[in-house]
Amino acid sequence: MAAARADTLQPVELADGVEIQLRVAGPAVRSMAYMIDLLIRIGIDIGVAILAFWVLPVMIGPKVTGGLVMLFMFFMEWFYNVLFEAGAKGATPGQRSMKLRVMSVTGGPVTLAQAVMRNFLRVVDFMPGLYLTGIVCMLFTKRFQRLGDLVANTVVTYADPPTAITPNVEIRAERRAPSQVLTREEQAALLQFMERAPLWADERRLELAALTQPLTLAPGVEGLRRLCGMALWLQEPEEKRGGPPPIKGAPLFRS
Amino acid sequence: MRLEDITVALRPRQPWESVDLGCAMVRRDYGSIIGLWACTVVPLWIVVCVVLRSSPEWIPLVVWWLKPLYDRVPLFFLSRAAFGVRPGFIETWKEWPRLWLSNCLPALLWRRLSFIRSFALPAQMLEGLRGSAVNRRIKTLAMDGGGSGVSLSYAFSKIELVVWIGLMLGTYGMLPESAQPDWDGLMSAFDVENAVPAGFLWWGAACHMVVVSLIEPFYVGAGFALYLNCRTRIEGWDVELAFRRMAARLTSAATALVIAVLTLFGLQPSAFAAEGKDPDKVVKEVLERPEFEIHKIQTKEWVPEFKTPDNIDSPPHLSAFGAIGELLFWVLIIGLVVWLVIYLVNNSHLFTSRGASKTAVKAPKVLMGMNITRESLPDDIVAAARAAWAAGDFKEALSLLYRGSLSWLVNRRRVPIIDSDTEEDCLVHVMQAGEKIEADYFRLLTGAWVQVAYASLPASNDEMGRLLDQWPFIEKGGEA
Repeated sequence: MAAARADTLQPVELADGVEIQLRVAGPAVRSMAYMIDLLIRIGIDIGVAILAFWVLPVMIGPKVTGGLVMLFMFFMEWFYNVLFEAGAKGATPGQRSMKLRVMSVTGGPVTLAQAVMRNFLRVVDFMPGLYLTGIVCMLFTKRFQRLGDLVANTVVTYADPPTAITPNVEIRAERRAPSQVLTREEQAALLQFMERAPLWADERRLELAALTQPLTLAPGVEGLRRLCGMALWLQEPEEKRGGPPPIKGAPLFRS
Repeated sequence: MRLEDITVALRPRQPWESVDLGCAMVRRDYGSIIGLWACTVVPLWIVVCVVLRSSPEWIPLVVWWLKPLYDRVPLFFLSRAAFGVRPGFIETWKEWPRLWLSNCLPALLWRRLSFIRSFALPAQMLEGLRGSAVNRRIKTLAMDGGGSGVSLSYAFSKIELVVWIGLMLGTYGMLPESAQPDWDGLMSAFDVENAVPAGFLWWGAACHMVVVSLIEPFYVGAGFALYLNCRTRIEGWDVELAFRRMAARLTSAATALVIAVLTLFGLQPSAFAAEGKDPDKVVKEVLERPEFEIHKIQTKEWVPEFKTPDNIDSPPHLSAFGAIGELLFWVLIIGLVVWLVIYLVNNSHLFTSRGASKTAVKAPKVLMGMNITRESLPDDIVAAARAAWAAGDFKEALSLLYRGSLSWLVNRRRVPIIDSDTEEDCLVHVMQAGEKIEADYFRLLTGAWVQVAYASLPASNDEMGRLLDQWPFIEKGGEA
């Protein structure tokens, strides 16, 4: 049932059986990044052309200058994306400004060969004009890949980790262990509640706390207090002591 | 609406990520959405086309202006689909008038140019608010998601425009000549009326409709997902969902505990009896799930059948075949060997080395104008030379020796001397060929011969005597 939920996260299983989630980015944000890149490219092209025609014709003549400028534009058109995407950040300036990066579908960084392939195939995605093929392909593939991405096995993902909202509110509640064993999802929900509750109205907090009455065994404000206490306990199960924290989840001895 | 039935993964997301979620939601149900779209929007477009048949250049603008109307049916479908109920045609048909008429005028008039159209639409349509309450609600929501609603509208209008132009560029070549505008006339005179034929305008309008059908559902879905994300942030829908699930689990666990306690006290109701199910049936049901399917791997191994001595007396006709086969085999082998030998003989020059091939060069018969064949020389060269020397014919004596030695070296030692070589060349060749005694003697002889031949200076008697005595070019055990 959970698998049927629509989501943008794409699971990838790593070689050692660990599953990670890729936060793939869709056509809207990618088109914004492309526009920024396009403007940067055009700006650089124009700047270089003006500079070249200002300085060079005296030395090498206007025809050679024109040729050099066109050569420069050619390289900008074909290798601007390749160089940036194969670089350390894996993103062009436009993509970086939209907090995107290019990745291999396996979750690794993109290789030079992949960057070359996905960018040289822009010609195909551009057909029959203005990226019609690429946009339609992106809208209808699971990982929002255009044809170049499909061939090179790459995806565009969000680069930054999801920002956690951390309000500076002191929670006055007594730390207490939950009365029942909770699953991971439930523990996460409790922590989420504690983190985000300051953003909500009082009624909403009480409403949500009332839902957890089977756990807190208390109605109203008392229930809310107990819920927060349990969340605090989950965050930090024991009082701070001098010694190192106990290793959770790892057996001390192997039989 | 039951939050437990939601078919979308709720989580506070970045705005652009929720836009992507909207795209994913629309993609999941694109077939149904476009079906409903065809039923509701296409009739409207037909009406528009009929009304504006005399001035087709206005059709794209009108189609674009009426967009808020189209958005409502996809939104209705998506909002239901998000909670697990996908409305069919009949259900949508019944809702259609209400969907299009509610809040219709503001949407088409003063709210048409709103930049947060698709983000505000769910607030107008799904929350059942009216009048100024809608405005207040939209303002509240826009505080949190308005900026992303604007950039969403910007991104999608840009995509729509680009796809429209792309589609027109792609299909331009298929237009008949009469429908293609006269670009030169357009550029020079800017006479739009005459230069652009009506066919071109109709075709542009049709492309626009196709593009709107393609992109607009995604725009609506993205706005809806942004709205959902906003509500999730403001109201903690994801937390509520998790809490509801937890409560359900804990309550059922509590009842199970009660039942266990009851069984412990000797009261009969077992867990399954309490639910009114037959344990055997439940077990069978559980075992029929895919997890319990027993997979078998069948492998077949090929074991060669070794013939036991009993099987040796095979039928005679088979042994005849065997004999023929054997014969053929040997014929083939012999043929191969014969062919190989013939081939080697025919191509022996390919396999002999370069040094050996030099010996194949024919030994010269004449060197420096002298005949050096064995036949042209006396049998006993030394005796003949001695006689010539005694007779005072020095040149003849040395010539005999020199020719005899060359003849020996060329014919017996196979020294690679060719007929254009000079005395010096001959000497070098002989030295390279090894045989130190012969080489030393030949050097002395050449010196004497050159002096007598070119300077007419005869060698001394001593020297001549040495040359005659040391003559090395004899067969072992007798003279040549």
